[in-house]
Amino acid sequence: MDGLIVKGISKVYGSTTVVDNISFQAAQGKILGVLGPNGAGKTTIIRMIMGITAPDQGEIFFQEGGKRTRGVPLNLVGYLPEERGLYKETKVMNILLFLAGLKDMPKQSAKERAMEWLRKFGLEEYANKKVEQLSKGMAQKVQFIASILHEPKFVVLDEPFSGLDPVSQDQFKAEIRALATSGAAVLLSSHQMGIVEELCDEIFLIHKGKEVVQGDLQSIKERYGNFRVDVLADQEISLDNGRVESFQVLNGSRYRFILREGVEPLEFVHSFPAELGIRELVISRPSLHDIFVQIAQGGVEDEAYVEDSQMGDYA
Amino acid sequence: MKHMWKIAKWEIMRNLTNKQFIIGLLLTPLIMALFAVVPVFLERWNRPSTSTYYVIDELGAAGQLQTLLPENIVLAEPTETGLAAVEKEVRETKASGYFVLNREFISTGQLELRYNDRNMDSLSTIRQGLTALLQHMRIAESNIDVGELAYVTAPAQVRQVAMEEDLEPEVMHMIVSVVFTILIFFLIFTSGTMLMQSALQEKRDRMAEVVLSSIRPATLMQGKIVGHFLLGLIQLGFWLALGLPIAVYFLDFPVLEALKAVNLPVILVFGLGGYLLFSALFVSLGATMEDMQSASNSQGLVVMLPMLGFLFMGPVTTNPDGAIAVFASLFPFTSPSIMMLRSGLTTVPLWQNLTAMALLLGTAFLTTLMATKIFRLGMLMYGKNATPREIIRWLRYKEN
Repeated sequence: MDGLIVKGISKVYGSTTVVDNISFQAAQGKILGVLGPNGAGKTTIIRMIMGITAPDQGEIFFQEGGKRTRGVPLNLVGYLPEERGLYKETKVMNILLFLAGLKDMPKQSAKERAMEWLRKFGLEEYANKKVEQLSKGMAQKVQFIASILHEPKFVVLDEPFSGLDPVSQDQFKAEIRALATSGAAVLLSSHQMGIVEELCDEIFLIHKGKEVVQGDLQSIKERYGNFRVDVLADQEISLDNGRVESFQVLNGSRYRFILREGVEPLEFVHSFPAELGIRELVISRPSLHDIFVQIAQGGVEDEAYVEDSQMGDYA
Repeated sequence: MKHMWKIAKWEIMRNLTNKQFIIGLLLTPLIMALFAVVPVFLERWNRPSTSTYYVIDELGAAGQLQTLLPENIVLAEPTETGLAAVEKEVRETKASGYFVLNREFISTGQLELRYNDRNMDSLSTIRQGLTALLQHMRIAESNIDVGELAYVTAPAQVRQVAMEEDLEPEVMHMIVSVVFTILIFFLIFTSGTMLMQSALQEKRDRMAEVVLSSIRPATLMQGKIVGHFLLGLIQLGFWLALGLPIAVYFLDFPVLEALKAVNLPVILVFGLGGYLLFSALFVSLGATMEDMQSASNSQGLVVMLPMLGFLFMGPVTTNPDGAIAVFASLFPFTSPSIMMLRSGLTTVPLWQNLTAMALLLGTAFLTTLMATKIFRLGMLMYGKNATPREIIRWLRYKEN
């Protein structure tokens, strides 16, 4: 597999183990979502991958065209950090060319591609304007362009959607998808579970520096979320046939049944009495958000709350 | 190496297109010229004021006193008699003051001058005039021969001749080394401050992490140091290009000749070494700060370190071969400026030169190593100042 290979990395700051024996892979062509509550160790892991700090234990490899190197070659990686900004008194194009230059991209092709990207985001008229004239959303688009301008084989996006309006969010989603399709390995860290659920092929969930679960979304849902059946019916439902793990009245005569593990929803529905009079019936798995909150008990539950700095990760 | 130059180029480009930098570049020589010129003019405008003093002359010596005074001090005879009336007259004519010349002055040397106008210059001139008058009158009274008196009170005239030719201080050499000492000091200080701000700005603009995902922290730091060194040279070159023709034209001093007297190897080694030492210190200091305003006392102390050299300038100038001078020219935090100064004033023994160089370069090397460690962790810390404890922990931190 080409892409990023992380093998058993750990990081200790003082007496706290911030990252504890973490292993995962990010394959080229796929999007890996790294999730975890604040202080889970996400930023520390990302910084170790970028070679900004070194793991105390374990190793990080990058494989490209079947050839494996220790550490990620910096000119192949694109990074959009959570703590991000731009030189305020500098022109947009100059910053893009400077950062592309650090990735060893030839100036002419960098210029052409930068213009292309600016046009894509409707920012071409800002190319020669200073950063201080950009809105927050525009600046974020420029930061995004800066991180992928050199056509990296591996892209790390730390909270790329924070502070974006829905239209721009969709734009970003489409471009991130396109990056993976064009063959890059994408590592995405976000608190917006809806987007992660929509976008990521693989999920890696950490809590307090330890791995909680990893795998593709469907298998995680199967493992962590039993089927749930929401029913709106004319009559009161009273049934206990050993298939239901828990039972909730949502509002009025709307009921939610969480099924026991291994119970087929269809089989459960068949057990309803004929005279029940079903008006609505929804069979679903719990959302990633529910799983996340359930797993990270004691972590932060409110999604909107999870936007502040990652200083906790740094310690 | 390639990336280091890219960073250096970027720092230079960013500053050269920055309004503040350009304003500073133009304004600094202007301000300096202002400081040199304005006091001279002020002095000139101040000169022609005339002060009038009334003299109640019981000795008939006012005429003699007037010959001992410059033209702008005028002695006048009051039209009224009696102290109160004279005082009234002084007030009415807006004169500067009045005094009484009588026998008592000659015997005791004491005199009360009542002034209306607190002009220090004319008061001190009158004092000198009165002293001279007192001496003249006392000499006349004592029947001392003036020629004999001059013979007795004449000062010793000592001609100082150095036994070896190179001990002879060359005025030109001295002036040049003092000027260069100040210049190098100024460059180190301004470049150091700019470097510190550059590291701070990288953090404030939240660019550190992006840049560090492309290059190593050490490369970023080296690029900044080299970039600001070149910027300093550009600044210096600009000012010299601007100032030299003016100096050659206006100053009554063989400027070009004097430049030949410059001790180039000393300037190169100590200037460069000093820059390396202080720039590493300043750039890593910038990395430990959140912003200029929140700088702590210990951080402020580091900023003052290059100033240490100034403390030694006085003692070194009076005794360039003394123990203090030797110490200050060996101690790496003062040697960049002091060795340059000493080499202009005296002949520094070779062993001292070599020891100072070794100490300076060694300290600069060690400082750079430590600065790199502080820099790479400091640059990624947001939202607070690093405490001394944290910095010590960073220094113990093992490199990958």
